[in-house]
Amino acid sequence: MPATIWIGNIHFGTISVPVKLHTAVSQDRVEFHLLHKTDRVRLRQQMICALEKTPIPAEEQVKGFRLEERKYVLIAPADLEQAEPEGGREIAVHEFVAAGEIDPVYRERTYFLEPGEAPAGYAALAAALWEMKAEGICTWVMRKRAYLGALASGGKTLRLGVLRYADEVIPAGSLGLEDFSLSEKELEIGAQLIDRLSVPFQPGKYADEHQGKLRRLLERKARGEKISLLQPRQLRHTEGGKLLAALEASLKAAK
Amino acid sequence: MRTKKKEGTAEAGKAVSPEKAAATGLWSGTVSFSLVAIPVRLVKAVEPGRVSFHLLHNKDYSPVKRAMFCPGEGAAVPPEEIVRGYELEPGKHLMVTDEELESVAPERSRTIEIAEFIDLREVDPLYFDHPYYLVPLKGGEKSYRLLAEALRRTNKAGLAKFVLGEREYLVTVRSKDGALALSTLHYSAELLADAQYAPGKAADEKEKNAVKKCVKEMLGGFTPGKYSDVRRKKLLALLKKKAGGAQVQAPELEGEPAEGVADLVAALEESMSRMKGAR
Repeated sequence: MPATIWIGNIHFGTISVPVKLHTAVSQDRVEFHLLHKTDRVRLRQQMICALEKTPIPAEEQVKGFRLEERKYVLIAPADLEQAEPEGGREIAVHEFVAAGEIDPVYRERTYFLEPGEAPAGYAALAAALWEMKAEGICTWVMRKRAYLGALASGGKTLRLGVLRYADEVIPAGSLGLEDFSLSEKELEIGAQLIDRLSVPFQPGKYADEHQGKLRRLLERKARGEKISLLQPRQLRHTEGGKLLAALEASLKAAK
Repeated sequence: MRTKKKEGTAEAGKAVSPEKAAATGLWSGTVSFSLVAIPVRLVKAVEPGRVSFHLLHNKDYSPVKRAMFCPGEGAAVPPEEIVRGYELEPGKHLMVTDEELESVAPERSRTIEIAEFIDLREVDPLYFDHPYYLVPLKGGEKSYRLLAEALRRTNKAGLAKFVLGEREYLVTVRSKDGALALSTLHYSAELLADAQYAPGKAADEKEKNAVKKCVKEMLGGFTPGKYSDVRRKKLLALLKKKAGGAQVQAPELEGEPAEGVADLVAALEESMSRMKGAR
C-alpha cells in the first residue's frame, strides 16, 4: 500500500468521516540524467549567485519581492508564517455539484481516500455520492497551503481531486482567436465525420508504447549500433479553400 | 515503483515537457483528423497563482538562480552544453541527442493525429493530467474553427497520441469557448487500484439515505470563482504593508539583460482585481 500522504476529516452537516490520503498515480519511465557535453560529467541542480557565480547554500538565501529593477523588500520566514492559512484536519464540504459540471481544465491530481480511524459513514458516503453522481466542493489546508477540491466516489472508494482556483485558469477569450465564417455544409460534414469516427472510451486500449521503443533504442546504442536518424513526419496543411473537398474525401474514406 | 518526478532529470534542464514547451511556445506542429491538417501551436491553459518571490544572496542581495552546475568544472553550464545521458551503470552514461529521440517516433513528434473521437463524459476525472490550448498558426484558422465548432456541436473530443521530448502523451482535444483545449491523460497502467482502500463492510441503507438527503440539500452549481486562495490573499496584503518599509538593492550585473520593471502597486492591484473578479 502506498504511503499515507495526509490524514484529515471530511465534514459537512452532521457528517464527519476520517480519511487518509494516498496517491492515485504511479509513473515508471526511462529516466535520463543531464550531462555536460564537453566532459560528460553529470550535472547537478544548484542555486547560483548571479554576481559571484558560485553555489549558495540554503542558509545564505533570503526571499525578496521585487519592487523595481534591483530593488527588493525582504520577506522574513516569520512574515510568511503570518500569511499561512490556519491548519487543521478538516476537509470542509461547502456544496455538492453534479459530476460533469466541473470543467476538466480545473482538475489537477487526485488522491484516493482510505477510511481512517473509526470510519463510520465512509461506506455510506461513498455509495451515496456514487449513486447520485455528485461531487462535493471542499476546501482544506495541507502542508501550509489552502486547497480547493472535489470529493467524489469511485464506487466503494472515496477520492479527493485537487481543483485549480478560478483565477489560475487562462480564459480562452484571451487567446485572441478570430472568428471565421464556415458554411453549413462544411460544419455538417465535419460533425458527421466526427460521429462516424466516434468510439467508446476504453483507456486500457492505449498503452505507452513509446517507453519500450525508447528502451530498445538505448539497448541498440549501448551495443554500439548506429542509430539511423529519421525525419519527423510533416503533414501538408489543409488550405481554407480546400477544406470542403478535404472533408468530403474524409467522409468517403471513413465509410 | 517511483511515484515522484525526480529533479535533475532532463525535464528540469531542457524544454521538453509540454509545460515548458507551452510556456516558451516551443512546440508547434499539426493537429489532424482524417484528411484535414491544421497547423497549431501549444500554449498553456493554466498559470499557478503564486505570489512570486526572488531568492537573493544574503551577502550582496544579488539574485540566486537555479542552474545546472558541473561539479567537474565547478561552474554553471549553459543550456547548449547540456545533453541527456542514460545511466548504464553508476558513472557510465550513454549520450542521447534530441534527433535520436525524435527518431523513436518520427510519425508522432510533429503531428497530433486524431484517429478517434470520444464522449468526454466517459473519461474518469482521474485520467486528466495537464491542460493546454492549441492556437492556430497562419493559414490554419479556418480548419481550426471548423474542428472546434464541429466538436462543440457533436459534444465530442478527439483522442490522439503525440510525442514530445522523451515521452509519448495520450491527449484529448475538445472545444472550449471557441478554442481547442488539449488535455494530457494518464495511461490506465499508471493509475493505481483503489479497491485496496474500500471498506470491508457494505454501506448501511439507512445511513446512505441520510447522506443522500443531506447532499441533496447542499446541491448547487459549480462556481469556482467563489473560492480563492487564502494564503495568496494574505501574502498580497502583507506585501502591500511592507512595500513602504526598508528596501535592499542588488548590485548591477554585467551582461545581464535588464528585466522589465515591475510596478508593485500595479502588480498588486492586478492580482487583487483578478481575485475580486473571480469571486
